Parts: sequence; structure tokens; C-alpha cells
Amino acid sequence: METTPLPDEIKPVMENGVPADVVSCSAGGIPNTTIISQVYYVDRERVALSFQFFNKTVKNVRENPNACVLLNDPNGCATWILQVRYEHSETEGPVFDRMDMQIEAIASATGMTGIFKLKAADIYRVYSVRKVTFKPESTDQN
Amino acid sequence: MIPEVIVLFLDRAIVAIGGTRDKSLVPHVHRVSGWRCSPDRKTITCLIPEEFTSDLMSSLEDNGQFALTVCEVPSHETYQFKGDYVSSRPSNAGDVTDFERCRQRFAERVASLFGLPEEACRAFVPEPSIAMTFQVREIFVQTPGPAAGRRLVPREE
Repeated sequence: METTPLPDEIKPVMENGVPADVVSCSAGGIPNTTIISQVYYVDRERVALSFQFFNKTVKNVRENPNACVLLNDPNGCATWILQVRYEHSETEGPVFDRMDMQIEAIASATGMTGIFKLKAADIYRVYSVRKVTFKPESTDQN
Repeated sequence: MIPEVIVLFLDRAIVAIGGTRDKSLVPHVHRVSGWRCSPDRKTITCLIPEEFTSDLMSSLEDNGQFALTVCEVPSHETYQFKGDYVSSRPSNAGDVTDFERCRQRFAERVASLFGLPEEACRAFVPEPSIAMTFQVREIFVQTPGPAAGRRLVPREE
């Protein structure tokens, strides 16, 4: 399966503080949807997902590594849909440390200090990137 | 049957995201612009914009599995509904009321939380093209905290 490089314009979307959505699927074929606080840019071919609570996603991607991520860009009136495959999990190191710090900042900004706690940085390879831009709402000027 | 307290939650939630999977077990994400619970509290109808219907019908027709996470902000109260595809049709005028109500709640809360113009937030919720109904089989707590992951319906032993 070929890797798709992430465009530079996706970086600010990953840093905008808006929650992202993740869909995974068990080996038995049951999809699972979650909302997570952050998707982290690792390099042009990989992202990391923060996991704090939802063990079902962690369990699913270890059974079936396929996942789908939706990034929200309210300022650009767009979303980005990434098809990714789980590679491995990191519980220390530079990626984990930077994610942990950003999650603390998000928790502080949203009144969730002490609730959001990073357990692992799960590293995924990106094999498809699709930008979805919405049509502007029509306005009746008459 | 969906408990009354969850029906009331659905009437104040602002974000919903749907998930399917195809025959190769590859998951797909579908933003949901509006939703409503049936009077018998057995099904939920999701209003899905055209932009997010890629792989939706082919996946549902292949295996019928659907997951829906619904969230309220600023409380972060969140539930996930899992179930089986029942039917779909093009959205119609009767769906507009539910769509507009959900979109207005989203725009007001997100504008306040992120300091964005309310019109920009409204534009971030596209009009639906499909009304898809699924029968709810299970409901899970996803509110951040120690109860996350606990199954509410059917009640865990």
C-alpha cells in the first residue's frame, strides 16, 4: 500500500485546537467512532493520534490497523479526511512529550485539566488524503 | 429502546459523526448535519451531506453496520450509538427543521467557544442530501472521564 504525502497546508489544521474524529473497525467488523482532542503531525508520511480514554479504538487498530481520521478546519470551511494504518505506539520520546504538552494546553483551555491525560502516542502511516471544501451558503440579497 | 434521558440529550447535542466500514474492513467517516430519534425510540435518522456520502451506501448495503458519536459542548457529554442500517432516502423538506435546529445549536456554541463568527460556523454544517435511518443496538458512554467506554444499553452486567 502506497503512502500519500501530507501537504503543508494541513499542518495549521492539526494545530487549530479543534477536536478531530476517528473511525476504526474491530476484526469482527463493528465500526467505532470517537472524538479526540488532537492529531499530531509527525512527518510528511505519518501522523500520531492521542489516546487518553477510548480503549476501543486502541484495541481495534491492533486487531485491524485501518482507520479513518477527519480533521476540522472551521476557518477554511473545510475538512480533511485521512485514511491511515496503525504502525506502533510510543509512551515516551519527543513525539509523546510534545503531544502531552499540547494536550495539557488544550485541557486548560477547555476546562478539562486533570481529565485529559495522554496514555500513548499512536503512530499511523497516511495512505490517502482528501480535502472536502464546503460550498458557501447562498445569501439572498433582494 | 433509547432511554428518555438520552433522547433529551440528542435534543441539546451539537456535533455528530458517523462511521461505516466496507467489505475490506476499512472504516469511513461521515459528518452528520442533523439527527432525530423516532417516536418509538428505536431508531435514529442521520442527515448526511453529499460531501460525506463517499462509501456510505456501498458500506451499508454490504454489511449494515453503523456507529454514531454525538457530543454536547461545553459539557463534553458524549455517547456512541451502534446499530444496523434500516433505510435511506434523499433528504426532503421535512428534514430541514431538524437540520436547521442542529446547525443553529452548533453555530451558537462553537462561535462562543472558539471566538469565530456565527455565520462561519453555520457554513461549517453543510445541508444534508441523504436521510439514513439505523436501529440502535447499543449505546456507550464516551464522555471524557472514568466512565468512558461503559455500555449503557443494554446495561452492562
